[in-house]
Amino acid sequence: MIRKEAIEIAVKEIEDEPIISANGYISRDLFSLCDKKSNFYMIGSMGLASSIGLGVAIKNPEKRIFVFDGDGNVLMNLGSLATIGSIKPKNLIHVIFDNSSHESTGGQPTNSKIIKIEKIARATNYKVYEVTTGLKLKKVLKNIKKKSGPIMIIVKIKTKKMISKRITYNPIIIKRRFMESLTTM
Amino acid sequence: MKKNFQNKFFNLLLKNGVENFIGIPDSTLKNFITEGLAQKKIIIPTREEEAIGIAVGTSLSKSKSLVFMQNAGFANSLSTITSLVQLYKIPLIFLIGWRGYLSKDAPEHKKIGKIQPKLLEILNLPSKVITEKNWKSVCLWSIKKIENDMPCALIIRREFLD
Repeated sequence: MIRKEAIEIAVKEIEDEPIISANGYISRDLFSLCDKKSNFYMIGSMGLASSIGLGVAIKNPEKRIFVFDGDGNVLMNLGSLATIGSIKPKNLIHVIFDNSSHESTGGQPTNSKIIKIEKIARATNYKVYEVTTGLKLKKVLKNIKKKSGPIMIIVKIKTKKMISKRITYNPIIIKRRFMESLTTM
Repeated sequence: MKKNFQNKFFNLLLKNGVENFIGIPDSTLKNFITEGLAQKKIIIPTREEEAIGIAVGTSLSKSKSLVFMQNAGFANSLSTITSLVQLYKIPLIFLIGWRGYLSKDAPEHKKIGKIQPKLLEILNLPSKVITEKNWKSVCLWSIKKIENDMPCALIIRREFLD
């Protein structure tokens, strides 16, 4: 499974719920597959998607908040896991698309093959699921609807040169529609 | 800055609708933070960039937010300020302790203390230094800024050594 396939499966289960997506190809894939107002495409500030997601989750306890992260992103802000694990937002679902690679900068390796993100997440009070197939991902996403977070789903994906188009919205538009979606949906 | 003054400053922000106070501690801001902790309004994450990220999330939820930090943390945050806060025009109040304001401050604070005013200027981040005389008006200035979707910075000078 490559990232774009995994994202396609995930968004079908998530539907209209808010997603904060990390910079790089993750946001680009999400934008090209399923653009919607409740997607916050974080195009810069690498590492911070989970922090933004935490802030949104704290203020919207009645909504489930999804974060689409990468292995490079989560390793850049491991402190965020400690903070999330301390606050324990029940409505936060942190999905990591893990290809052990900084794909958008040329496929340089990350250390996610050597260290266990899953173990770090468990130590910081997450419920953790690890999946390698689309079928399993779908099953986990259905299964967690009745579970409380913080939840992490690590989706092991393969690298492949399939590049989605860049996000065409002005960042201020991304912000405005996301804010509007939080109050109207 | 006297204790009483920082407490009042915190409470005036609160009264004007600031609901989230997220940051990394500074002894320069000790009484401000102590007051916030007593009122259970403070979140202390691991780094300043993370604090800004969380505050962006609360701000996107239309909840007024402030991020506090030392100026060492402000230096850590430059890219987050330009590529997140300013890029998306997120209304946040930064409260920054000005270490290295006194020339006899500890050596690790000297350089950043010296370049801090220029950094704020280059970033084009509107800022004001809070004093015991102007704190009320500066507080209201910052509220007005974020109500107009503009991030801004409030600076507290470190006028003691510990």
